[in-house]
Amino acid sequence: MAREIKQFQKQFDNLLAYWPNEDPELRKLRSKAFDQFKSLGLPTKQWEEWQFTDFSSLKKINFRLSQSKDLPQIPENISGRIPNSYLIYIVNGHYQKDLSEIPESISISTGIDHFQSNKELYIDNNNLNPFSALNTSMMNSGICIALDSNTVIDKPIQVIYSTIDILNPLMNHPRFIFQLGKNSEATIIEHYKGSTELAYFINPVSNVILEDNAKLCHFRIEEDDALANHIASTNYILNSDSQLNSVSTSSGSKLFRHNINLAFNNKGGYATINGLSTIKNDQHHDQHIIIDHFHNACQSEQLFKYILSDRSSGVFNGKVVVKENTQHTDADQANKNLLLSSDAIMNTNPQLEIYSEDVKCSHGSTTGQIDSEALFYLQSRGISKSKSIELIINGFAKDIVEQINNEDVKNYINTKVTNWIEEVLIDA
Amino acid sequence: MLIIKNIHASVDGKEILKGINLSIKPGELHAIMGRNGSGKSTLANIITGRDNFLVTKGSITYNGNNLLEMSIEDRALAGIFMSFQYPVSIPGVNNAYFLRAALNAKLKHQGKSEINASDFMRLIREKVKLVNLDESYLSRAVNDGFSGGEKKRNEILQMLTLEPELSILDETDSGLDIDALKTIAEGVNNFRTETRSFLAITHYQRLLEYMHPDYIHVLIDGKIVKSGDISLANQLEEKGYSWLEK
Repeated sequence: MAREIKQFQKQFDNLLAYWPNEDPELRKLRSKAFDQFKSLGLPTKQWEEWQFTDFSSLKKINFRLSQSKDLPQIPENISGRIPNSYLIYIVNGHYQKDLSEIPESISISTGIDHFQSNKELYIDNNNLNPFSALNTSMMNSGICIALDSNTVIDKPIQVIYSTIDILNPLMNHPRFIFQLGKNSEATIIEHYKGSTELAYFINPVSNVILEDNAKLCHFRIEEDDALANHIASTNYILNSDSQLNSVSTSSGSKLFRHNINLAFNNKGGYATINGLSTIKNDQHHDQHIIIDHFHNACQSEQLFKYILSDRSSGVFNGKVVVKENTQHTDADQANKNLLLSSDAIMNTNPQLEIYSEDVKCSHGSTTGQIDSEALFYLQSRGISKSKSIELIINGFAKDIVEQINNEDVKNYINTKVTNWIEEVLIDA
Repeated sequence: MLIIKNIHASVDGKEILKGINLSIKPGELHAIMGRNGSGKSTLANIITGRDNFLVTKGSITYNGNNLLEMSIEDRALAGIFMSFQYPVSIPGVNNAYFLRAALNAKLKHQGKSEINASDFMRLIREKVKLVNLDESYLSRAVNDGFSGGEKKRNEILQMLTLEPELSILDETDSGLDIDALKTIAEGVNNFRTETRSFLAITHYQRLLEYMHPDYIHVLIDGKIVKSGDISLANQLEEKGYSWLEK
């Protein structure tokens, strides 16, 4: 057994010992998933879907599962709090019920309680993603938000998953389930934030289910510490005529990998999936998106942008699959990248797999540097070079930020992007 | 105001300007005419500070300062403005926001207080009328999806807002229909004062009919071969450039 697998085995055994009275079925699920993880192992460069990302940092450090002793002093001001929203607050994997503010019309449950009444949601059939299997085997935190049919939540729900003041290299495997009943509407902000002196490993899986005609705005903000390894999967299932507006931003973590899988489970679904990654130093951000058009009259629009500074590297792999005999499919996919440094690297691979005739699809990718003509133009109007560069970079990010249809969230992201640009320009 | 002495300039090792001498005093409108490739736009770009040209010889002073040593933005802040032949579009950068940033850079340079958003909008709404541009163009990205004529109107709008001392109009007339040309010429004429100077670069004398230049210079192969008044433009219209070539 490889050394790192042994280490995960030890943590897995500890977890079973830590919760001795768990539901036997959950135990069985965990064990099966851990066997799956062991048989797969960590991805290597030979795995086509993982080839541009180096996971050796996960082998070098012995990460241990967070325990109750790892709950630090809770800061008075909650970092990253977005105004005018409900709050679900989790610190180092521990749900802070007393500090959370939850609307009355939804039901919240922690993973294990939720499992007992929703077992079918946890079945992980033939999953070839080892991190997803690892999450199932060791899911130890997270929350399930379930909306009944015809429920409209008046304010966004901000889920803050905070990692602070850790004394050992910790790992957490959060499992989130966001389930919107028929005709329900909600905005959920899934927000990862970290500030640590040590490396940590966070491996969330979010399963998002939209029943018929439900509408979800899902804003995912990744601001983990620069020492973090953040490896995530988000799985969307869209039933008839449901609508998803997904915007994910990533700026933290040394190593970031996000698999987004979206399946249209019935006709008439509409999804916009957008992403913005702003990375610097030696950060590596890798996103894989698969959208399955298995049913008629579904529409998906994807735009992922990366802004890369210093020696950072990015990977975009997007795939749209249109099943045979489906009708009226409309799918757009684009990836645009701005390199601020000649040492930054971007790997991009937009793909379409179309097995049907009745489709309207487009895909494309561009990677470039700051447009010197635009820079000259702005400077020739008396605007300083650094301010001109800031305007151009901000302009590049703008069409993603504009997809955020909540002013408070938009302001938060705008400020974050502007601060990031200023930091990069000062360092330059 | 602007004194150009014996300027030689090259791009990629090829000499484009071969000894230009030109002096522009406050309130004057000079026109430079010449064929494609004669070096007209190169001259405009050297004054503005575009760095892909190499000045190999000569000097340019602006109000007594060595212009060639100044940064692009410092030249603009000192009062030089170029209306671009091909204005670039800048996605995601709001036109009004950009123009306010430019105006504030200038106000700050002059030691004045910056203009707030609402005062700026009041000012700019007056200016857009002068160039016959719809207000909706203010909230769009800079030149993004603008037609050729709209881009040129947007250039003149910037000139009227930033109020430069020396305005270089680089083929501002190209690609314009007669109505747009009249609007732009009128905008420039109303903007003329005893202190503001202009350097208009053009192929055709059409624009000059509306603008009444004080001097016309003919540029052939990187040199000014003839200077005169408006009658020179009329001669060129009749006879072309070949009679001036050796």
